[in-house]
Amino acid sequence: MNKFFKSIIRFPWRRCFIILFWLLAWQLLAQLIHNHIVLVGPWETLGALRQLIFSKGFWLSIAHSFQKISLGFLSAFLIGILLGSSAYRFPWLQEFLEPVMTLMRSIPVASFVILALIWIGSENLAVFIAFMVVLPMIYVNTLSGLKSTDKKLLEMAFVFRIPLWKKIRFIYLPALLPYLINGCRIALGMSWKSGVAAEVIGLPSSSIGEQLYMSKIYLETADLLAWTFTIVVVSSLSERIFLFLLSQFEKKGTSIHESNPS
Amino acid sequence: MKVILHNISKSFGSLKVLSDFSLVMESGRIYGLMSPSGAGKTTLLRLLMGLEALDDGSIEKPGHLRISTVFQEDRLCEAFTPVENVRMVTGKSLTEQQVRSELCRLLPEESLKRPVATLSGGMKRRTAICRAMLAPFDLLLMDEPFTGLDEDTKHTVILYIQEKCAGKITLLTTHQEQDLTALKAIPVHLPVIDSLKV
Repeated sequence: MNKFFKSIIRFPWRRCFIILFWLLAWQLLAQLIHNHIVLVGPWETLGALRQLIFSKGFWLSIAHSFQKISLGFLSAFLIGILLGSSAYRFPWLQEFLEPVMTLMRSIPVASFVILALIWIGSENLAVFIAFMVVLPMIYVNTLSGLKSTDKKLLEMAFVFRIPLWKKIRFIYLPALLPYLINGCRIALGMSWKSGVAAEVIGLPSSSIGEQLYMSKIYLETADLLAWTFTIVVVSSLSERIFLFLLSQFEKKGTSIHESNPS
Repeated sequence: MKVILHNISKSFGSLKVLSDFSLVMESGRIYGLMSPSGAGKTTLLRLLMGLEALDDGSIEKPGHLRISTVFQEDRLCEAFTPVENVRMVTGKSLTEQQVRSELCRLLPEESLKRPVATLSGGMKRRTAICRAMLAPFDLLLMDEPFTGLDEDTKHTVILYIQEKCAGKITLLTTHQEQDLTALKAIPVHLPVIDSLKV
């Protein structure tokens, strides 16, 4: 019984009440506006979502967009680390890449999308856009992480003639991972936002972007909000899974338990 | 084996730290650098480690000379255990069990499983000393190795150092004359350059 009461006390009531408050505010606003094209309430959105979930196209669109955006993110993640590490090793390369990275960070996504539509068409648009948005973030975080490496530890490694792979595991990786995890947290969200935005402009078939666009064309606001909710959930899930995997790597790299470093 | 310093000089900008310093060090001997703070002891060790470039003079040493060191700071990888920190420098020359039993001579066994970040200052110091002793070396350089150690621990550490650096060249810096006596070290006085005198 005591355990039961403790679990009730520990339950995040305050958070639940806050969420409930905003849902009620949303419902109230929808009722006040009383126009299903301008705004629908959470109840109707949930209804639209329930209908979507049982359609084959829903899962197909999610799979399609997930595949494209993840491919863009993962390739940018790998190339970003590679370029960031190379730029750390060769300062001339950092100087050489600086204008490109600055440009990639400052060009609006919409301009990228239109250019990409001309260059590669709509089918792989989300891959390209997610890649372009994520690459400079991973690059900058890799470079900053490596630059934060303790110089005194590097001197120690030099004197003890520690091989490169051990320097990577014991010195560089612990310095890099916190920066990389932080960068990925932002980059994953951005890849979904920009990837879906690109799909809305490019309209590749069977994509979330296309479904969003169709909802807009047919003035199906409930569908539009249901798709938006889906994007938030899928984006958040992929973020959690990826960060979980990365944090496992961090734990392994800086393990407390005994391991075999030689 | 000999390491010979010929009239070495080093300046940082306009500040001259070492001037025309010469020293001959031979295997099987411990040399103790005694001089006031700021006299260039650490700079001398850094020059021997190859972390600073000489301005003048030369260092004569065998081409295959392996150096091991205890820095003034511990310079340990904080997220890793003492065993992992030591194995980082020993490679395959010692097994994990050998490293563990060597560390147990200076540290309590329970501390070997903990990340270095959670150890006390004295434990970190002993880990750094153990790392230096277990790395393969011909020349051992120690910069104030006994900082943060109480007298009993210092005695244990001195015996450990004497055992491990037998037959090797050892150069250490210290402010305590009794440390040199305990280590049976040959005192070396680094002249203080006029510009560095307070």
